[in-house]
Amino acid sequence: MHGHGSATAEVVFGLHPMWFAGLLFVLSYVLIMSERVNRVIISLLAASLMIVGGVLTQKAAIEGIDFNTIGLLTGMMIIVAIVRQTGIFEYLAIWSAKQVNASPWGILVMLVLVTAVLSALLDNVTTVLLIVPVTLLITEALEVSAYPYLFAEVFAANIGGAATLIGDPPNIMIGSAIGLSFNDFLFNLAPLIAVLLPALLIPLYLIWGRKLSASPENRRQVMNYRQEEAITDSRLLWMSLFVLALVITGFVFAHDLEQQPATIAMFGAALLLLLQNIPCSYKEQSRNITQTFGEVEWTTIFFFIGLFIMVYGIETTGLLDLLAQEVLRLTGGDMATTAISILWVSAVASALVDNIPFVATMIPLIQNMETTLGGPEALMPLWWSLSLGACLGGNGSLIGASANLIVAGFAERSGQTIRFLPFMLLAFPLMLFSIAISSIYIYMRYL
Amino acid sequence: MTARSIMDTNPTVLQPDSTIATAMQYIMQHRYRNLPVVDEDGRFLGVFGVDCLLRLALPKAAIMEQGLHSVEFVRETLSDIHRRLNQHVDQPISSCMYDQVATVAPDTPLVETLLTLYRARASLPVVEMDSGELVGVISYFDAGRNILAAEI
Repeated sequence: MHGHGSATAEVVFGLHPMWFAGLLFVLSYVLIMSERVNRVIISLLAASLMIVGGVLTQKAAIEGIDFNTIGLLTGMMIIVAIVRQTGIFEYLAIWSAKQVNASPWGILVMLVLVTAVLSALLDNVTTVLLIVPVTLLITEALEVSAYPYLFAEVFAANIGGAATLIGDPPNIMIGSAIGLSFNDFLFNLAPLIAVLLPALLIPLYLIWGRKLSASPENRRQVMNYRQEEAITDSRLLWMSLFVLALVITGFVFAHDLEQQPATIAMFGAALLLLLQNIPCSYKEQSRNITQTFGEVEWTTIFFFIGLFIMVYGIETTGLLDLLAQEVLRLTGGDMATTAISILWVSAVASALVDNIPFVATMIPLIQNMETTLGGPEALMPLWWSLSLGACLGGNGSLIGASANLIVAGFAERSGQTIRFLPFMLLAFPLMLFSIAISSIYIYMRYL
Repeated sequence: MTARSIMDTNPTVLQPDSTIATAMQYIMQHRYRNLPVVDEDGRFLGVFGVDCLLRLALPKAAIMEQGLHSVEFVRETLSDIHRRLNQHVDQPISSCMYDQVATVAPDTPLVETLLTLYRARASLPVVEMDSGELVGVISYFDAGRNILAAEI
């Protein structure tokens, strides 16, 4: 792969391409971590400098962008922007609370399940954005602290997101880069997730669950909620569920259909937009489309674009190959040591810094280990380790994942602020606990 | 002409340490929509009004930023709502007044004053820029009365 995009060997400022790209990359990383300048600005600036500095031509830079990731993310964001208007998230949250007779611990378990499943099928941020307000309503009615619920939902969102190709951006990136299918993720990661969720609930029960209680009067108030009234537009709901089912079926059979996930997601998005807008006038259609596209997180999309160019830049200089060989030298080229190291390092790194740039860098780095470790098949345990480390690591701190920050924002606005250190004191060990279970899983299944 | 020429220079005000219960009784009795809150030196702090009461009577999850869009599925009686409101009534009004409200200065030009009033959709506190002192209030009725009284 290396050398494809190199424009020239000469680089501005008299630096060798590897040094220039490497310095630019490290500087960007430090700036992203410092959180002094918005990450989108940094990634676009670094991407531009990779081109202006002569590491990449514009043509090469565009080749470096993984449009499958971009298309899949954008397509799913469009679908979610429509689905969220239907009230289905609120419906599911209330319905699940009533299934357990509004018992406080039962509701926590149910909300964890609902959050995990929705995060696996849609994105984590939207899931918590819509589940947390219902959670706050319910906890207020029950007169119980919202903290245990919000804490559990953060974990559920990040753990659930790890289960599928589309659940979390790291999985989308990994799956897209090496052509792993929806089914690959489902068969390889979902069984572990099914173990991790109950395993998480045990400590939560011991810490909070056994003390949670609510008066029959307050529980009755929750039982009086009418979940069917949460559905705002039942026609749109059925359309959304139809398209969502179609898209997921598409992902499952992507291999047989010989289609990439981005095509399936974008096709689904276009179809849902069509179904939503058929009965509308031309003017209403414009308004709907503008609104829906306004909800696409363009900042995330452009962050990815800049990042892909930046990482492609350092990759073409051969720097990542050098690093890969260095990692292999440290692990002695041993598969088990390499896989478990990637799992733990990714987890700790993702708890403290943005996991998206980390994964974007690790993907080509791991690809460079292919020849030494013996072909693409041999790399599989490393991919699962990277995915689990990056997704689950996000639970380690309040800034570990975007969903965490959303939940923290709600907590603050509801007057029950989640503080950084107290959260981390419990979340970090629990995250390590989930990584320990994952290590056993990886070792038993793949090594 | 400026804001000064149409303002009411002797407005009714509230003190920040009054309880919500006291302020509530007062504004309900006199049917005020909202009243300015000033400290003992006459400095403007914010406004407290009937919408604060509604805010306290509603579930927090619905009125917060990015909260629930609709609560159609919630079934509550007036007693439930009164109970929720009652949890807050012993707190001082400073805990729930709005401090991010539109104001004008006494020398703000007239048309700009009226535009601010129109956009605020509520009576407009007139605040001296340097001292932060409340020098008057302009209601829709103050504005309307003055406009209609002017010769064409």
